Amino acid sequence: MGNNQDSSIIDLRNLHKCYWVGTMPFPALHGLNLEIAAGEFAVVAGRSGSGKSTLLNIVGALESADSGSVEVLGQDILGMNSDQRTQFRLRNIGFVFQAYNLVRVFTARENVAYVCQLQGKSRKESMEIANHWLHEVEIGHLGYRRPDQLSGGQQQRVAVARALASNPKLILADEPTANLDSTTGRRLIRLMHELNHRFGTTFLISSHDPDVKQAAGRLIKLADGQIVDSWDEVPEPPQSLSSSCPSSHLPLGERVRNYIKLKRQSRGGKRRGGNQRRS
Amino acid sequence: MDSPRGLSPITYLHLAARNLVRNRRRTLITLLTMIFGIATLTLLSALNDGWLNQMKTNFILSYTGHLQIHAAGFEASQNLNDRIKEPEEVSRLMQSYGEIVGWTQRIRTSGLASVGGSSAGVQVMATDPEQETWVTSMDQRVTSGTWLRPGISHDLILGHTVAQNLGAELGDRIILMVQRLNGEMVSDVFFLRGILETGAPQIDRSLALISLNSAQQWLQMGDSVTDIVIRADIHEHTDALYRLFTQQLSEHKYEIMPWQELDPMVRQWLEFSDAYGFVILLVVIILVIIEILNTMLISLHERQKELGVIVAIGTTRIRIFLMLLLEAVMLIFIGAILGYLGGSLLVYSLADSGINLTRFANAFEFFYMDPVIHPQLTPDSAVKILSATLIAALLAGIYPAWRATHLSLSQALRIQ
Ligand SMILES: Nc1ncnc2c1ncn2[C@@H]1O[C@H](COP(=O)(O)OP(=O)(O)O)[C@@H](O)[C@H]1O
Ligand SMILES: [Mg+2]
Repeated sequence: MGNNQDSSIIDLRNLHKCYWVGTMPFPALHGLNLEIAAGEFAVVAGRSGSGKSTLLNIVGALESADSGSVEVLGQDILGMNSDQRTQFRLRNIGFVFQAYNLVRVFTARENVAYVCQLQGKSRKESMEIANHWLHEVEIGHLGYRRPDQLSGGQQQRVAVARALASNPKLILADEPTANLDSTTGRRLIRLMHELNHRFGTTFLISSHDPDVKQAAGRLIKLADGQIVDSWDEVPEPPQSLSSSCPSSHLPLGERVRNYIKLKRQSRGGKRRGGNQRRS
Repeated sequence: MDSPRGLSPITYLHLAARNLVRNRRRTLITLLTMIFGIATLTLLSALNDGWLNQMKTNFILSYTGHLQIHAAGFEASQNLNDRIKEPEEVSRLMQSYGEIVGWTQRIRTSGLASVGGSSAGVQVMATDPEQETWVTSMDQRVTSGTWLRPGISHDLILGHTVAQNLGAELGDRIILMVQRLNGEMVSDVFFLRGILETGAPQIDRSLALISLNSAQQWLQMGDSVTDIVIRADIHEHTDALYRLFTQQLSEHKYEIMPWQELDPMVRQWLEFSDAYGFVILLVVIILVIIEILNTMLISLHERQKELGVIVAIGTTRIRIFLMLLLEAVMLIFIGAILGYLGGSLLVYSLADSGINLTRFANAFEFFYMDPVIHPQLTPDSAVKILSATLIAALLAGIYPAWRATHLSLSQALRIQ
């Protein structure tokens, strides 16, 4: 699938990212380089905590990086302010998340129509577009159901329809099959693959699901925040934490907040924030 | 901001409403708390207003009227030399204003009343017996005997405490002594025709009431008087009348005093009750704010992930802010309206019978207060309550909405 034209849709160079809990740094990405061409169906694989979500969130302009350069669709994302990022996401990127990612009070159709309305389309037009995409993901008859009246697989299909409805060039899917049984997961992946073929939309999917990896047009292996060629390859550890996570990357407000948090914790308060680390 | 295209206000309303319905039980509990608070607030302020209004009415009807016109300086000097020499100039204005339901002329001066061996200082007041009935209810407060006869007579009505102190009984000969304009002391014999109980102690222990014509002749005052007393159709017209008379009459010749200025004590009482009403308002509003803040923050916490997703797919911060603000405003709005309606129902069910406080305090018997309070809804309190709750809604809505715009996406999206 990966045609090596110069039309790269994602271009990441020397990307670094740390999370801070108190003054404790959690390195997520160090020195990552990645290029994805338009139309690819790429899968990022790696065990929990390897940095898959972080990578996708940075590409999707949801989070910022500490250093390096991030070009998506030829635009420098790190230089954007928060409203510019929102606009960028709205126009260019579709998202599918692992679970619970529909608006609970909207019907399936309204969930899909919502992004079109955000884009400025009328309610009527948005609803028509929503119907169209729900048909494309083979649940056209379920448009009036609320998320809690849909199965996990159906919900993810709604999410895929929503991601496509904004007519994006790039779809980022963070472990889309993790909450589904393997048959349903396989069918979802097949559907995404098909959409990739038919519409040429680029997909970047994170997963540690073997089925997903198998379907990948290109498999990107992530270990400890670095891309590796084979799983046997042990990424060389960063020389020291302070070099991979210089605290100067923290904004001042964050540094002050961390300091206060740490003070509180050391006073015997419950440890917070750190348990946000997910698997 | 949004055109009919895109996300219309209707969509926001829809979303807010559904989010409120989403956690039915919590919304219901919050609403019930608010309804209870605002209904209580409505009832309390209706009681306060009813009580105040009764007090005002009693005060105005017992003696002072809504507005008094004196010769300039009379209220301070209480001297007959500061009198209205041409009452015509004032009285011809009376016909022109529909807000005036009655007016009367009076003479006030201090004097001495004696009967048998005892005597007491009194406030001698002379009024036109017919005109007076249009202004105050003094004629109905005559507890024994009868009201003054018009024209020249030797009729006298005493406040019931004065009568008691003097040991005077109906039909007794009572000698009144006063000072004429020229300083000469004169006295005359009057017959006690009635005893008056206004409920205001300072009046009941000093009033000696005679007819205007008798006084004018006795004191050799011609047509002149000291007070022209006016009653308006409703309390709220006092200010308008005050302004009209101030425009029409020279301030060098006349002083025009609304009822609040005639008795500083009453005024203080009214101000105190206003302050009391304000404190109740404040307390209830603070409770409403806390309740709404709590509900919104909990619901915000539960929806972190969903909000994260909404932001991720392209909702701007201002939209998130408005969405959540609208939810709080909607919640308070429903609560305020239902609460106010509930309160109004309570008020209407109590309005006729009133709340009887005689058991609690004899103190209610004096100072123009009625022992039975009839709650009263006023447009003023409705505006106050509803605008205060709206402000509360904004205050309670802004913080959670602002918090939502500062959501950490990296954390929100990783919540399972
Ligand atoms: N909000 C956060 N606060 C602290 N550490 C975090 C946060 N998010 C991620 N991390 C850490 O960053 C690393 C990469 O996380 P993530 O990108 O979520 O990995 P994956 O998606 O591959 O499981 C992990 O070590 C994780 O604990
Ligand atoms: Mg992840």
